[in-house]
Amino acid sequence: MILDWLQNMGKSSLNFFRKIGQFSLFLFHLLSGLNYLFFRPRLLIKEIYSVGVLSLLIIIFSGLFVGMVLSLLGYVTLVDFGAEGSLGVLVSLSLVRELGPVLTALLFSGRAGSALTAEIGLMKATEQLASMEMMAVDPMKRIIAPRFIAGIFSLPILTAIFILVGIYSSFLVGSLWLGVDEGSFWSQMQSKVEFQHDLVNGFIKSFVFGIVVTGIAVFQGYTATPTSAGVSEATTRSVVHSALAILGLDFILTSIMFGL
Amino acid sequence: MPNALIHITDLYFSRANREIFSGINLEIPKGKITAIMGPSGTGKTTLLRLMGGQLIPDRGDIIIEEHSIPSLNNKALYKIRQRMGMLFQSGALLTDLNVFENIAFPIREHYDFPETMIRDLVLMKLEIVGLRGAYRLMPSELSGGMARRVALARAIVLDPVLMMYDEPFTGLDPITLGTIVTLIKDLNQALGMTSVVVSHDVKEILSIADHVFILAEGVVAASGSPDELKASDSEWVQQFLHGLPDGPVPFHYPAPDYLQSLRDMTP
Repeated sequence: MILDWLQNMGKSSLNFFRKIGQFSLFLFHLLSGLNYLFFRPRLLIKEIYSVGVLSLLIIIFSGLFVGMVLSLLGYVTLVDFGAEGSLGVLVSLSLVRELGPVLTALLFSGRAGSALTAEIGLMKATEQLASMEMMAVDPMKRIIAPRFIAGIFSLPILTAIFILVGIYSSFLVGSLWLGVDEGSFWSQMQSKVEFQHDLVNGFIKSFVFGIVVTGIAVFQGYTATPTSAGVSEATTRSVVHSALAILGLDFILTSIMFGL
Repeated sequence: MPNALIHITDLYFSRANREIFSGINLEIPKGKITAIMGPSGTGKTTLLRLMGGQLIPDRGDIIIEEHSIPSLNNKALYKIRQRMGMLFQSGALLTDLNVFENIAFPIREHYDFPETMIRDLVLMKLEIVGLRGAYRLMPSELSGGMARRVALARAIVLDPVLMMYDEPFTGLDPITLGTIVTLIKDLNQALGMTSVVVSHDVKEILSIADHVFILAEGVVAASGSPDELKASDSEWVQQFLHGLPDGPVPFHYPAPDYLQSLRDMTP
């Protein structure tokens, strides 16, 4: 009984490290083929449209509602202390440091990451990747690399849009509906939000999340078992692993950037 | 064989703890149509993958035009693949490109030809497979047979030296099947290619092959010209060629005595 348990533990640990090694080799292979994209910028633009531009709607609407909710909740707390003028600071720091990068990355993994995994997994299942290899075209360069770079490029921009929409919607709720003074809303935000400490760190977070989410998505697609069930499992794994990685990394990054 | 394009010597390959090849030796003559036959699961498609360098054997060598495929580095492998064509069983067309762009894909990837030249090359290949009128269609709009003909046009667009066909006759109606059989034969003659056809459709393949290898249980069980095989006195070869349900290859999976099993009430 205990021996079985130990055996299973050992097996799972070995599998975990094998996956990590496989993922590192995959990233190495991926990065070594990036020069291919310099000669084919159109491939990258097409993928940026597909993973970035097509994710705009969900990002804008989510930013809108998150900003409005933050404004309402923040106001209810602040007004008790007569500090409702700081609503802008509360909302903008929450969004820039934490909610913007994390929520956008989670939404992105659900909207674009899952689609990337399913697309690449299905290309594998229908032998499109194998046929490309036989046409002497490396699918890692032609299929995986443009999607990976497009994801890394798109996520920070989507995060910025999410934050902007969130701040503006919180202003609309706070100022027009709840009656917070417009001047103190913006001026306190301007004086408290720092470029280096807040904006740059927020950007670094979203950049790291971009690498992780898109990396996991393309890796899961590329290593999916080439069957319907295999692609379905890979898509699920892509979203679950991305969400866990985003939240875990967020804790580490926050403690380095703002905690210590 | 003096005029062989491919030499396979002492090839061993296993996957998921199951030995698929245990010492295969065969030579594929240049400019001819060679058929690789055998029951399902004997590793016919695996052999094509090994020849294309998509799988690495456990032991043994595959030499194509004096290059040892398993020991080539990635760059050299991709270089030699430009001289190979492969028709996949599913066609494997790129679903986001239309017929024209699918066939133009290998040209665009490897050469910097002017658009007019690409257009002419693609239309010439489409004319050969009889689908010039379908150049605008998307893969989802094609029937199975049409998709396979488009895939064939794409595979031959760079005029390969070696053309590999993976089960080209499976799941086709009699008319399309006849078309594909004729195309394989005509293309082999017109373009001077060496063709390797993996199939278990006995009648069709024997009508066009110059040489046949039958694989079974990890080795070459029989080989020769179609006439030699038809005249073979091996019970195994006769069972396979005539599709007899029982013979040296048993119909039943090994099991205890039937009556005894029924009496025991256990499966």
